[in-house]
Amino acid sequence: MHKAPAQELLSPATTGAHAAAHTISLSPAVVARKRRRALLTSLNLAAILIVVLGPLIIYPLLRLLWLSVDGAHGLSLQAYQTFFSDPETRGVLGTTLMILGASAGAASILGVTLAALLFFKPFPGARLLTRFLELFVAFPSFLVAFTLIFLYGSQGSIGIALQQLFGLEAPPFNFLFGPGGVILAEVIFYTPFVVRPTLASFATLDMRLLEAARSLGAGLSMVALRVVLPIAWPGIAAGVILCFLMTLNEFGILLVLGSAHLVTLPVAIYSSATVDLDLPTAAAGAVVMLCMSLALYAVYRRLNRRG
Amino acid sequence: MDMQLAPVPQKPSPQPSEPALGAAARVARQRRMRRFSGFAIAFATGLVCCWLFVLPVMVVGLSSVAEHWSGTILPTGVSLRWFERLGSDDWDAVAASLEVGFGVALSGTLLGLWIALSLEGRDRRGVGALIDTLAMMPNGLPSVVLGLAVLIAYHKRPLDLSGSAAIVVLVQVALVLPFCYRCCAAALRPELTILREAAASLGAAPARVLVRVVLPQLMPALRASMALGFALSLGELGATLTVYPPGFATVPIVVVGEVERGYYLPASALALILLACSLLALCLIAARIPKLGALKA
Repeated sequence: MHKAPAQELLSPATTGAHAAAHTISLSPAVVARKRRRALLTSLNLAAILIVVLGPLIIYPLLRLLWLSVDGAHGLSLQAYQTFFSDPETRGVLGTTLMILGASAGAASILGVTLAALLFFKPFPGARLLTRFLELFVAFPSFLVAFTLIFLYGSQGSIGIALQQLFGLEAPPFNFLFGPGGVILAEVIFYTPFVVRPTLASFATLDMRLLEAARSLGAGLSMVALRVVLPIAWPGIAAGVILCFLMTLNEFGILLVLGSAHLVTLPVAIYSSATVDLDLPTAAAGAVVMLCMSLALYAVYRRLNRRG
Repeated sequence: MDMQLAPVPQKPSPQPSEPALGAAARVARQRRMRRFSGFAIAFATGLVCCWLFVLPVMVVGLSSVAEHWSGTILPTGVSLRWFERLGSDDWDAVAASLEVGFGVALSGTLLGLWIALSLEGRDRRGVGALIDTLAMMPNGLPSVVLGLAVLIAYHKRPLDLSGSAAIVVLVQVALVLPFCYRCCAAALRPELTILREAAASLGAAPARVLVRVVLPQLMPALRASMALGFALSLGELGATLTVYPPGFATVPIVVVGEVERGYYLPASALALILLACSLLALCLIAARIPKLGALKA
């Protein structure tokens, strides 16, 4: 396969003429071969769009969008009204954003702090721990939520341990099946996603700069704020945005710990689709969520490309 | 946060005179304090990490072999009865998960390879950028939304897949495609392009270049892509739960169902089998455990 400039595909006709002008001294056989190759490249890309991305991504998303605005008489926003006026899902956007802000915010702060400690104060086993955090990503999120039931549930071991330690009459907490438990589980699951890019951006720091700043009398906080942060910022920002995006898209944790007392957007979409069997209403909720996710994702792509 | 970098060099007095001894002792004490606080911080970091991240993984293992675990700090008694009690439904779910996972990993990797090879060396504008963006898009989509979209698109004619496991494979392939594509695209380095052009200029046909030059070079990336696709597919819940046909279930669906009904210990046993399959596949396919974190981003 040869390298093809992008314009070649945009206008095969003009490019063909262009190529012909360039290769006027070449034999017609060579020109024909070049033309055939350009045609093959365009056909290949078209095949990817039609055979792979079309059925997997484009067509389903278009159908989703269409179903959400498809009324009995032309376009209508009826489905959106139904979704957001349902008394059970009232305030669903606010709840979702509150959970998102609390858990992704806490995970970001914790992740950056942990990464800084792991990088600037390495201890024996820090490498092993970093490796473990990388593998943690393959651990399904709903399992994290599930294990928390054994640890922090009303009969969980940490609650019982505290009860025995302080001689309480009852286990000291019962917060798991609600916002508290969801936030805890999301913080645990998504902190490693912040640690990794932050560590990677710390690794690009030139340690001589830090030593120079120190020897010129800068305090630790000054080094952190004026030297480390400006240099490592793009990586940290990308990690934080990724964390927000994945927390917004989370489903398993919300289903296991939050489906009883906490209505969030993904759970509301899921239950209107599979419990109420009301696909148009579910589609309306899904389109709203799609817009939020894609907006965050666009920011992430932009940051990552620049960084 | 305390960020102790290289200690600021203290000026040592070569031969401490009498009055300098007090100062030297103070410096030594400061240094001891600093070292102690360093130890304390490192210890606390390790402890917090173990508490937050290592403990949950251990709990799955512990609870699956527990006789009983409710109202006590540690499980009481060791038994394998939860594994012995796994019914044929559970084993069907394991088999279904493995089959779907294998199919998803294979097709995701092949499609990812195709896209990566087609876009290689192309500057990211025009159609190339469009394909790149679309192939990476599932990365930013909520799994429930993608699942719902696939369900809406394929639940009735002209193409009705809602009764077959194919719809599960389809939605999971869409979800793992970005990772597989990224994996292959990252491995197509400029050196490889030079090798290919050299082979082509020496007269090798494109097919021969692909089989003899490109694929051997891409082997590690393809294995990593398979392993990642398999692991992601085994743990996928949101989209699978939205589209799965009646009479079919993967391990995550069964586990979540049991957790919702309060059967925690059987769910643990099944979850441990899932984790073991996932880890085994990662080790077998990838030979060494790939840097998953780097690929997921």
